[in-house]
Amino acid sequence: MKLIDALRIVGEEEDRELPVVRWDLVCGFTPMHFQTFLGAHFRRACASQRTEIKCGLFGDFWGNLEKLNGGNVDSAIVVMEWSDLDARLGLRGLGSWAPAALPDILSNVEARARQFLPAIERISREIPMAICFPTLPLPPVSFAPSWQSSPFALEIRSLIASLSLDTARIKNVKVLDPQRLDFLSPCNERFDTKAELLSGFPYKLAHASRLAELLTLLTYPPAPKKGLITDLDDTLWYGILGEVGLEGVSWDLEHQSHMHGAYQRMLHALSETGVLIGIASKNDPQLVKQALAREDLIFPGDAAFPVEASWGPKSQAVERILQTWNIAADAVVFIDDSPMELAEVRARHPEIETILFPKNDYQALNDLFYRLRDLFGKSSISQEDSFRSESIRRASSEALVQPSETFLEQAEAEFIFDFSKEQADDRAFELINKTNQFNLNGRRLTDALWQSFLKRANTFLLSVTYRDKYGPLGKIAVIAGRVQRRAVLIEHWVMSCRAFSRRIEHRSLEALLRKFNAEEMVLDFELTSRNAPLRDFLTELLAGEPTPQCEISRGRVLDFLSKTLPRAAEVAHG
Amino acid sequence: MDDVQVRLMSCFGAVFPALTQKEILRADHHSVGRWDSVASVTLFAIIEEEFGVEVDLQDLPSLVSFATILGYLTSKSTA
Repeated sequence: MKLIDALRIVGEEEDRELPVVRWDLVCGFTPMHFQTFLGAHFRRACASQRTEIKCGLFGDFWGNLEKLNGGNVDSAIVVMEWSDLDARLGLRGLGSWAPAALPDILSNVEARARQFLPAIERISREIPMAICFPTLPLPPVSFAPSWQSSPFALEIRSLIASLSLDTARIKNVKVLDPQRLDFLSPCNERFDTKAELLSGFPYKLAHASRLAELLTLLTYPPAPKKGLITDLDDTLWYGILGEVGLEGVSWDLEHQSHMHGAYQRMLHALSETGVLIGIASKNDPQLVKQALAREDLIFPGDAAFPVEASWGPKSQAVERILQTWNIAADAVVFIDDSPMELAEVRARHPEIETILFPKNDYQALNDLFYRLRDLFGKSSISQEDSFRSESIRRASSEALVQPSETFLEQAEAEFIFDFSKEQADDRAFELINKTNQFNLNGRRLTDALWQSFLKRANTFLLSVTYRDKYGPLGKIAVIAGRVQRRAVLIEHWVMSCRAFSRRIEHRSLEALLRKFNAEEMVLDFELTSRNAPLRDFLTELLAGEPTPQCEISRGRVLDFLSKTLPRAAEVAHG
Repeated sequence: MDDVQVRLMSCFGAVFPALTQKEILRADHHSVGRWDSVASVTLFAIIEEEFGVEVDLQDLPSLVSFATILGYLTSKSTA
């Protein structure tokens, strides 16, 4: 992004009604254009919020950090540069670079590193933080030539690497990956000597923009994709199964088909993080079944579900997979080696992200792996990720697709209704931000807004965990809102599509009534292009179409529950 | 209006969004209230990025109006 474009974006008239997120930018340089780029990238990433970025004093990184108070802002970005650790590591300071000064510089850096961690621990208890460690080249302070690693430079870098690791382990803190920055912003094109000396701004504009862009991704990450549908022939393996037979397909160095093995390894890794992997292949189903049973597959065949092998159009196979997974096309990536197949799928499912498998381009394969990590990446792996695929497999059995009352009664369902806000883990936040179908209004939250919501005294959070005799589903529903006198105002209500048809939404309502003994519920409903399942449930509950801010009396809820849940009558006396 | 003038007007418009096109043509650091040192740094950063030039330090004191900057850029582009 060019500075002129960033200024225009920042200068655009903003909707005053939007919720404001207050950021504190902690740095030691004058933020100037970096602040402009940050504001512009924030605005592009999250049009539903207005951001205010506050900065501290020039040249006082440590003072700005100490003054940062989680009570005054919603989130913070910390950008450290070498000169913040010791002024002699910058050009503006004229302290000695003589060999005798080097031990003292090192000792200062060590002391600053010790000072940094407790400050971040203190602030991160209040607000989410994004942190970037020095991005500029280390100046030639040491006496060694620049092509030789000096113990001085290595020791400083080692201290920062260790500090980065300790920082990244702190809850509520995300650290920018320097390697990604290296890809985008060449090291020798970052430092602007003239701007640094004349105005205290150390970055070339291109570097400032890229750094701001990456910090924006760190703070407003795109929703991870949920499923990957892959082709088989010349994609998962090398060779056409129908032509070369079971033993003819390969994925190893010996057959110069190792790139397919590497792709399998990536798929396996993704599936182990909860990504759904499906197969759409034009092939003989029986042959595919046998091939996927080969024990030497790097990606175990049974980790894919469903497997759609037929001679019909791929778009129809994709359609069936989406139905089985019960997720929207825009949450899915489709990979195939044939541009024609990709186009055919895209024509029917324009929202799906289609990627050509680069069967003849080794470099592009490596790029594909980075791209897949970005598309499916998440900050942490939850327990739910480990059994997502398995629970979808179970849900696809006929009994669960159309459950009978008898089936539900015999399912031995167990619920945990957890109202604790203090121990709220990332899963509740994740569910609100990725659920589409059973979602009260489709509203997404940033880390900052979520933490601010949890901190408010009159808010509540209900997290619902479910298991039955067929296995656990984990934490699959969240209701969040406010309590005002005897009214419960529901601002967020989401439930994973894996949890449909188990009356979990009914039980959640029941739990809310019990907890707050509410006389009335107000639902902040908003119709979206995708939340028909929730709308249908509310239509049943209200005996009419839901409207924004629709109100339901306790009596109406009880009446509804008594008709749908045998035990609901207990609530009236709860 | 030549290309340099149009692009320079665009730079001024980004830094001083309240100015009309007519006001931009007459703009100087006395008549534009928001033309302070920070605005100057931003304006010249944008100009350098837009025109791919580096403004010489010794020229800066004389570049105090739209007209003088336009003259400077025109001379650079024909030099």
